[in-house]
Amino acid sequence: MNRGILYSRLLTFLFWIAMSALTLLPVWWMFLVSVRTRADLFGKPSFLLDVQAMTWENYAAVLSNPTFQKYMTNSLIVATSNAVLVSVLALLAAYAMSRFALVGKDNLFFWVLTNRMAPPAVFLLPLFLMFTGLRLGDWSLFDTRIGLILLYCVFNLPFAFWLLQGIVDAIPKELDEAAYVDGASTFTVLTTVIFPLARPGLAVTGILTWVFAWNEYLFASTLTSVEARTITTGLAEFVTVTGTNWGQLAAVAMLTLAPAALVLALVQRHIVAGLTFGAVKG
Amino acid sequence: MSRVTLEAVGKSYGAVTVLKPLDLDIADGEFLVLLGPSGCGKSTTMRMIAGLEAITTGTLRFDGRDVTALHPRDRNVAMVFQNYALYPHMTVADNIGYPLKVARVGRAERLAQIEAAAKKVDLTPYLARYPRDLSGGQRQRVALARALVRSPGVFLLDEPLSNLDAKLRVAMRAEIKHLQRSLGVTMIYVTHDQIEAMTLADRVVLLNDGVIQQVGTPDEIYDNPGNLFVAGFIGSPPMNFVEGLGAGGRFAGPGVTDLPCPGTGKLTLGFRAEDTAIADTGRFSGTVYEVEPTGEATYVVLQMGPHRVNLRCDKKFRPDLGTTLRFDLGAGQALFFDTATGQRVR
Ligand SMILES: Nc1ncnc2c1ncn2[C@@H]1O[C@H](COP(=O)(O)OP(=O)(O)OP(=O)(O)O)[C@@H](O)[C@H]1O
Ligand SMILES: [Mg+2]
Repeated sequence: MNRGILYSRLLTFLFWIAMSALTLLPVWWMFLVSVRTRADLFGKPSFLLDVQAMTWENYAAVLSNPTFQKYMTNSLIVATSNAVLVSVLALLAAYAMSRFALVGKDNLFFWVLTNRMAPPAVFLLPLFLMFTGLRLGDWSLFDTRIGLILLYCVFNLPFAFWLLQGIVDAIPKELDEAAYVDGASTFTVLTTVIFPLARPGLAVTGILTWVFAWNEYLFASTLTSVEARTITTGLAEFVTVTGTNWGQLAAVAMLTLAPAALVLALVQRHIVAGLTFGAVKG
Repeated sequence: MSRVTLEAVGKSYGAVTVLKPLDLDIADGEFLVLLGPSGCGKSTTMRMIAGLEAITTGTLRFDGRDVTALHPRDRNVAMVFQNYALYPHMTVADNIGYPLKVARVGRAERLAQIEAAAKKVDLTPYLARYPRDLSGGQRQRVALARALVRSPGVFLLDEPLSNLDAKLRVAMRAEIKHLQRSLGVTMIYVTHDQIEAMTLADRVVLLNDGVIQQVGTPDEIYDNPGNLFVAGFIGSPPMNFVEGLGAGGRFAGPGVTDLPCPGTGKLTLGFRAEDTAIADTGRFSGTVYEVEPTGEATYVVLQMGPHRVNLRCDKKFRPDLGTTLRFDLGAGQALFFDTATGQRVR
């Protein structure tokens, strides 16, 4: 009996070690590449870090590269604006859906979800035509950050809406009613009651949409060219510009990973709270 | 302070009518209790007064002003919800101060008023706590303080004591009544507990199935019920009923003969346990079914034909089961109802 538990513990432990290795090894490898000089790279491959030969010059080169700076800025702006916009819009939609009697409510909800069912690639061509064809004088959505932000809203809203709907439904309706009787307008109820109580859910929504926008490749690579290019898409292109510099490529990759990891680490606490939110209402 | 007038106010959900059009005039400073069994429409009535539920028909007035279509925030009412509906993410102080904050009262002024309201309900030591760290009774007080803080025209309380244990309920009952007296506010109080209604109310409105059964002071409702429903709902134990026939000004039924009565045909005699007096020459008789001592009195359950009735007797009284007892009522203590319609016959 005791031995059985020990074995199963050991097995579980080994399993997770293996899983971690599987996911983390490529990252580690990339890190190794990013801190080696060009000459070292083509030497004998090794999984170990040679501290003496370690160099930050790839990072220095990348960080001082204006193209990299621009792409990074684009990515940060697009992902953050998208996350904020989606969270706010989805919260408003979820609130309306949860609290007001809307005609065809259930169908509407289902319809919103179906928007997410077709593979995104299906929309690529129509979207490209829309982005280039719809013009205001010289201006079109093509190669603009606002274009990407709006587009990502389309893909992120249904999921965010679905998630927040559950969160808002779990907030007792009496709280809204008490606030109304206390003299609050609908907007005040939203900002002083619903928003603070939905915060864990909003954190989850925000991070997931942020990561989606940060990592999105397909649309970013087709619907932008120079000005609005994001770091994810710029990654490959960036290297061809400077020659196939594997060290710098790895450094860019590491730097692209960093913000996502940072954001995740920051809101991890909220995500756990968000996932168990229904259980602690009231 | 407000006078509240309901003019033929009714409520239906689609084809389902949950509240028949009802008229009610609630005086300024009155303590009115809406009483009735579960599902009779008490909460609906109160929520319509608060503006949380649309009024289907009729007109609602505060001090003569038509407020039927007014948003809840513009009605200047305060409401205490059954589950208190405290804002869980705010401290007690912020909860109490919320109506003031919404009304953009300045910080210093707000703090002073929060202090004052908290003091009225003995909450001062708890102002920094969150609702989850309070007991049921304390939460109840927070809800009261939140209602008190901005001197509303009308106070609405929907079963505010039903989540408390019996002892606390009695204590809070007195506090609420005292508060209402000292502030002189109009208070509308919903409950399904008739003891609560009797002890608190200036006037009781007894509802059943969305229809007002009777409106009156607790004494009127207790002594002069207008129909069988009221008679059976009010009082503990409830009024005793014996069905029989009235003819020629005399009532006859199982265990009852030759009792003067108004009306003719199928009648139901009603009388209260405490109005009975054991007497060998009494006009009523039955066999002892059970004896229930309560400490302050002994209740004897008598079988009269198909009916069982309660008599309140001396605490030492212990009749043997199965023996026949005779008892009598004083003048005016026998009430009669039409058995078919349930209406009082006078
Ligand atoms: N949205 C609705 N649609 C249809 N009927 C409803 C709706 N809301 C309430 N009702 C009905 O209205 C009636 C009155 O409800 P209400 O909540 O006023 O009862 P109550 O007297 O407060 O009861 P309780 O003591 O249980 O709180 C009930 O029969 C209920 O089923
Ligand atoms: Mg109710």
